[in-house]
Amino acid sequence: MLADTLLIVFISICTALLAEGITWLLVYRTEKYQKLKSEVEKQSKKLEKRKEAIGEAIDKTQKRKLEKQEEKLKNNNRDLSLVKMKSMFAIGFCFTALMSMFNSIFDGRVVAKLPFLPFSLLQGLSHRNLMGEDYTDCSFIFLYILCTMSIRQNIQKMLGFAPSRAANKQAGGFLGPPPQPPK
Amino acid sequence: MTTRRRKKDGDDTANGALPSVWTRAFKASSEWPDKDEFLDVIYWYRQVIALIAGCIWGLIPLKGFIGLALFVALNAGIMYLYFSSFQEVDEEEYGGAWEITKEGFMSSFALFLVTWILFYSAMHFP
Repeated sequence: MLADTLLIVFISICTALLAEGITWLLVYRTEKYQKLKSEVEKQSKKLEKRKEAIGEAIDKTQKRKLEKQEEKLKNNNRDLSLVKMKSMFAIGFCFTALMSMFNSIFDGRVVAKLPFLPFSLLQGLSHRNLMGEDYTDCSFIFLYILCTMSIRQNIQKMLGFAPSRAANKQAGGFLGPPPQPPK
Repeated sequence: MTTRRRKKDGDDTANGALPSVWTRAFKASSEWPDKDEFLDVIYWYRQVIALIAGCIWGLIPLKGFIGLALFVALNAGIMYLYFSSFQEVDEEEYGGAWEITKEGFMSSFALFLVTWILFYSAMHFP
């Protein structure tokens, strides 16, 4: 069992590196992406500072200016996601093939024991393709998803490819508050 | 690598008479002119806590919901003490305590689960 668990951790490190490699090849190294990224970062920071500086007191011209800036940032953000789309398709294609291969290798194998009982919603995932009623048995896919969740983000951060916080905030990231409309 | 980046950041700020990020991360009430630097420190502290907690929980072994709840409480508690009492930063500058509390939480939670499962399986189901 331990060998399988370690193998899955290793696989997810490799796939995370592969995904970053593909993205680097198709996106990160291109001039267009670098230009857009620095632009978005600069604009997000500028907008944030401006919003803070202006605060409550705001007249119509300032409001219009701010809206214009936000619109520009939105357009740049959209362009950035379009640039990233190319690599997302490539990664999706690659990973579908890889996943079906790994799924057939680990089919019906208990790769780890869970120290907790997953919620009933997650049991379909954590007990996928496994025999028996012991829901602390862990399937390949559950461990793989957990590994990917932690390892991919850490690798992105280590390599410096993680999206900037300012841009995320303006775009309204996951769990984050939606961007405040100018008052 | 971040280590390299951090060192570079440290060198950049060294001209402004600020010690490197590493030194400031371990020193109480440090100055953080760059918000992202501080959030990066929080992020990496979280990952380290997740790794250590995962190892300990797996070795003891702690099981069930209590293990999950304890980790969430420990993770949030230690980081809250770190930024409010040790570093004494102004939470409002970062958009409130919630913004700092959620920084890197999901990935550290996933990392904790992986280490916990790994150690638990290795030690108790060889």
